Amino acid sequence: MAPSKASSKKQQKRGIDFKKIKRKIGRKLPPPNNATNTEIKSKAIILPEQSVATEKTGLAVNKKGLTLKELLQQTSHHNAKVRKDALLGIKDLLHTYPAELSLHKYAVIEKLRERIGDDDKLVRETLYQLLKSVVFPACKEDNQGIFISLLMTYIFKAMTHLAIDVRLMAFKFFDLVVQHYPHSFFLYAEKVLQNYEDILRKNQHYLQDKGKLKIALSGLVRCLSMLPCNQEEVDSCEKKDAGQRVLHAFETEVPTESSGFSIIIPKLKDLLPVLVSCFQEFIPTAQTFPSFDGQSFDCMLCILQSIDLSIRFYIYVTSENKQESQASHGGLDATMWTETITTFLLKKLLVMFPLNPVNQFSEKGDDRYFTLNTVFTEIFLHLCEWICPPDVLLERFLDFIESALLGKICSGTRSGKAIEEKHLLLLLPFIPKLVSQVATEWKFRLLQAFTKKFEDCNPESSLKLAFVSTIEKMLIPREDMLYLDASALDLLDHQIAWIRQLPLLLIQLGDKHPSSSQVVLHLQLKLGQCSLLNPSLMWGYDNMQHLLQKFYIICSDDGNICYGPFVRLARDSQELALCCLYYFSYLEPLLLKSISLCCLCPDMDPLIVYRILEILHSTYKAGRIQIADCISFFITLLSRFRVFPENSYPDENRDAKISNRGIFKSITSIVCSSMLQMGDKNLVFRILENILLAQIVLKPPLDNVCAMLRVLITLDSTPTRLSQQSITTLGNFLSEYLIDVVGCISKDEDTDSIHSSACRYYFIPCFFLFDRSHVLLNLVLRMFASIVSCNGGQYATNPSSTVGAIVSVLLFMHKDVRIGQIISSFKEDVDSILQNIICLQSSEEISLTLEERHKVQCAMSQLESVICGTEKGKKVSF
Amino acid sequence: MELVVASSSIDGGIGCWNLQTGAEQLRYKSCASPPHGLVCVGGRFIASSQLRDTSASSGSVLYWSWSKPQVEVKSFPAEQIKPLAANREGTYVVGGGSSGSIYLWEVVSGRLLKKWHAHYRAVTCLVFSDDDSLLISGSEDGGVKVWSLLMTFDAYSIQQASTPYMHSFSEHTLCVTDVVAGYGSVNAIIVSASHDRTCKVWSLSKGKLLRNVVFPSIINAIALDPGERVFYAGGRDGKIYVAALSAESTFNNSYGLHIIGAFSNHSNAVTCLAYGTTGNLLISGSEDGMVRVWDARTHNIVRMFKHAKGPVNNILVVRQQFYNNFHINPNMQVSSRRHGSLLPPPLEKYDNSTDGDADFKAVIGLQPTCSESMDAFYQSSHVINNQIKELQQQGSAAAEMERERLKLDCKRFMQMVQQWKTMYENLHEFCVNELLEGDQAGGCNGNSA
Repeated sequence: MAPSKASSKKQQKRGIDFKKIKRKIGRKLPPPNNATNTEIKSKAIILPEQSVATEKTGLAVNKKGLTLKELLQQTSHHNAKVRKDALLGIKDLLHTYPAELSLHKYAVIEKLRERIGDDDKLVRETLYQLLKSVVFPACKEDNQGIFISLLMTYIFKAMTHLAIDVRLMAFKFFDLVVQHYPHSFFLYAEKVLQNYEDILRKNQHYLQDKGKLKIALSGLVRCLSMLPCNQEEVDSCEKKDAGQRVLHAFETEVPTESSGFSIIIPKLKDLLPVLVSCFQEFIPTAQTFPSFDGQSFDCMLCILQSIDLSIRFYIYVTSENKQESQASHGGLDATMWTETITTFLLKKLLVMFPLNPVNQFSEKGDDRYFTLNTVFTEIFLHLCEWICPPDVLLERFLDFIESALLGKICSGTRSGKAIEEKHLLLLLPFIPKLVSQVATEWKFRLLQAFTKKFEDCNPESSLKLAFVSTIEKMLIPREDMLYLDASALDLLDHQIAWIRQLPLLLIQLGDKHPSSSQVVLHLQLKLGQCSLLNPSLMWGYDNMQHLLQKFYIICSDDGNICYGPFVRLARDSQELALCCLYYFSYLEPLLLKSISLCCLCPDMDPLIVYRILEILHSTYKAGRIQIADCISFFITLLSRFRVFPENSYPDENRDAKISNRGIFKSITSIVCSSMLQMGDKNLVFRILENILLAQIVLKPPLDNVCAMLRVLITLDSTPTRLSQQSITTLGNFLSEYLIDVVGCISKDEDTDSIHSSACRYYFIPCFFLFDRSHVLLNLVLRMFASIVSCNGGQYATNPSSTVGAIVSVLLFMHKDVRIGQIISSFKEDVDSILQNIICLQSSEEISLTLEERHKVQCAMSQLESVICGTEKGKKVSF
Repeated sequence: MELVVASSSIDGGIGCWNLQTGAEQLRYKSCASPPHGLVCVGGRFIASSQLRDTSASSGSVLYWSWSKPQVEVKSFPAEQIKPLAANREGTYVVGGGSSGSIYLWEVVSGRLLKKWHAHYRAVTCLVFSDDDSLLISGSEDGGVKVWSLLMTFDAYSIQQASTPYMHSFSEHTLCVTDVVAGYGSVNAIIVSASHDRTCKVWSLSKGKLLRNVVFPSIINAIALDPGERVFYAGGRDGKIYVAALSAESTFNNSYGLHIIGAFSNHSNAVTCLAYGTTGNLLISGSEDGMVRVWDARTHNIVRMFKHAKGPVNNILVVRQQFYNNFHINPNMQVSSRRHGSLLPPPLEKYDNSTDGDADFKAVIGLQPTCSESMDAFYQSSHVINNQIKELQQQGSAAAEMERERLKLDCKRFMQMVQQWKTMYENLHEFCVNELLEGDQAGGCNGNSA
């Protein structure tokens, strides 16, 4: 229409102004000015919801606003992309609304499981991720049985799917299920193993797709590793739960797995040959490639591990059966199978050992071959439980083990070392059995290599720990294996070498690896317990003492003490270390000295100090510490323990944190009771008397003096057995001690009652001594008199406080009932003290301030009144 | 009569008190026993192992009869015996050696029936389970092992079993000081105490640790409450702790988990504990030589006995019939004739089982009276053979006289039976008549009403 219009215009224009416009052919006409734009433009309109009628506020929706129901419907959409998106949507929704899942768990699962056998690879992958990251973690604690059975039907369906991809993926799904519900394997073991067998039979189809196969195989390894394979492990699991429960309670119901074993065994029988042939298929591929590629290596490793695990399981079950009943119906069958399977394995599989790299120069390849060879060795050694292998084969394996121990095989790189350690860990548990079985020459070589590796390897590694537990098996006698017969001289040398290593290891471990230290200490303890069996073992154990010193104290020259790791270990390890001391046949003074220094360490836990005292006492009682050493240990502790803060005597209940006086008091009482139990009281007293007095005269701090006096009175009896000479020494010393006590304690006078109880603690031992020897009291009183007299000794500098102190000591004595009675018989001495005080007051030589004079006066009047009081009392009693 | 018997490690004899009256009985002389070294064999006599010089090559075990303070029988086993135990009937005596061996003797003959190596270090305590079928031993190396006595004599079953013992508990780190067994033989619990400051409760049926109780001090002795509600643990710090077994235990208390409480009047360590057979009494011995009797409910001291200067380390509670005329076994007579006393011969030093191992089997002993318990009385066939031989050798005259006497007795008893029969018949008749008349009277009454 437009062109015609234009032409009419032209005609018109021609008519008006006749201007002719030439138009060239082929040129496009410019659009007319008034042309209507007929173009239709549209923008996409996004409707958040499809129907206006559905009201979705308050419902859980994902980002796209779809509810769970809609999403679940979409999972069965014919378009793969939609299905995938729906799964992603569900994942998103469940992330934001976890409650949805717990509400509609079964609905979700019923819908999702249909996707397990989905044709599209991406859909399955998404489903896997969804199950793994959201669904399974959330359904952990629920009723698992239904949940699993819902899934399993579809997984099995997928396992028999025509497409290989789907099949392999199904194994991956099953692996996921097993990861989250380990028990489910036992429920479906038969079917699953059957499926594995089927798929592995057809391996030639997908040897190309090794990645998938690897996943399936690793699932198999996981399943098989759940089978019990070791009696000890099972036992230890049971032992662990000895907790805090009620004593006579019913056992909690644990589902027993053993019922399913009878089904698993025949399946494994069928599976083994398939695995072996599968492995054989890999061999040429592995060897033709110049470098051993990772995936086929992984597959081979998985296959070997599966074989190993199934053999271990079989051994476990047969040994169980043997224990339970000798003549079970399947007994004959089992032995038959044992025969066939071992010969089969020996002929087909183990002859391939050792796998050697074709290309000598690849390090990685070397390590891989080493790994495979280790698993080979494991299989072989497990088989050895049944059969006596041909010597040639055995030698090959022994040779491998030896060179593995010597570290000849692996490359020197760091990763190589790590791999070597990891695999040695697997081999170590077999060493004890091998050593007890192989011929002498090999035994010697193995032990040599073993000891060398043990000494060389890093003390902080887990390998060292594994070595320690292996050594434990070879040192501690057990019922099934006896290593400690005297004929095994060559073994003995190694045993001694291992024992020597233990204390060094302890010192090397320090306090950084408490769990390792504990394992070593435990071994040491066990060794101590059985060391009496064999004199050379005993000798080895006793010799540890020299090395152990460093465990307690590293060096202690010129007063600078450097504590060993013992002080910083956890308490249970410390206790273990102490228990070891009990089993030395003779505890040497040097070690005791280090321990005593540890006790004096201010950081030590007081409970451990008490424990040390207890254990040493027990050891003494068992006759393994000489009495002199034991006594000197106690005396060192009492005389050198430093109480801090030294001169403040706050309330006892308050001072637990700040002061360690309370600790020292309990140490004192423990020492006293140990001394009492040491033996004949009189003899111990005779030994101790001079030692204690020599220490006391050195004037250590008051607390230490008090402690030693307490020991003295515990051992003494009424009347005293102190010699005349010691009484004189004590007489001189005690007067000063008493004055010092009062001087230190009663600095402020407002809290009187606390001070008097504090004083009492220090006075009581003296009072006991006075009660037992009146002569001593007399001596002390005379000393008082001479101190107060005008030309008194060192106390002359501050006469008023000295007088005050003496008076309060006397007052204390009067307050005590027994001492009060005794003191009244020494009236003249007290009087002379009084006289001296008066003399002091009036003396010209010593100038007293007014205040001091007042103090003296007060003290004197107190004393006088007390003396009068006692006299009155006496008169009344007369 | 319930007797408390106590001995000490320092020679102070064996003290003996009547628990009810507190009266001291005979004091048996010259006994220095190690812990767990005192035992009352079947209620017939006291046996105790002795502390000797470590240099002495042989140990010694002494017997005292109830009636005489002097040692009557001395035996010298091959090594020093520390703990000693006997089964309830007093058929066997078991001793633990300082090398870790356990010796089992038959009391009547003194034969060493069995010796086996049980522990790495010295055995410190030995206990029979309540039905005497199991022997539980504790050792200085911290091990506690449970032995089945049946199995020790059955060479075949030892071969079959992987271990010669039933259970071996090795969780203690230090010397075991005491073990007690609860009721229920193989299903019982046992409690062991050790220098490592713990007491552990084990189950014999499951063979595992049930409970671990950590105390504030070393526990020297334990005693089980008869109801197995709690057990008492005597500590080296002089306290007797009460720890829960089946009793409720509060979790936050001052002593630790499972410890309900403690009581103490000892200045010194508690060295041994025993539980009275009648009355709710707990008896404790202490380092200072005193024996204290506590009321287990109120924890008050009921009595105190002064035993010796040294530590009391053994306390037994013996229920005794009148020992002056306790029944004499025929075989006891046999042995007494040989030794001039009422006690069996000394224990043999070595196992001389060369003579006829073949006929060596257990025989159920002849039960002398029915009034005794129905417990079987086991003796080895060897002893029975000897007994038969001696019976045969006894002159026929004595047998004849005995028969005459028995005949007379029989006649007398027959007469007596006859008498009783007539008496019973008369009584029966009388009763029937009475009843019938009563009925008639009742019937009359009913009619009249």
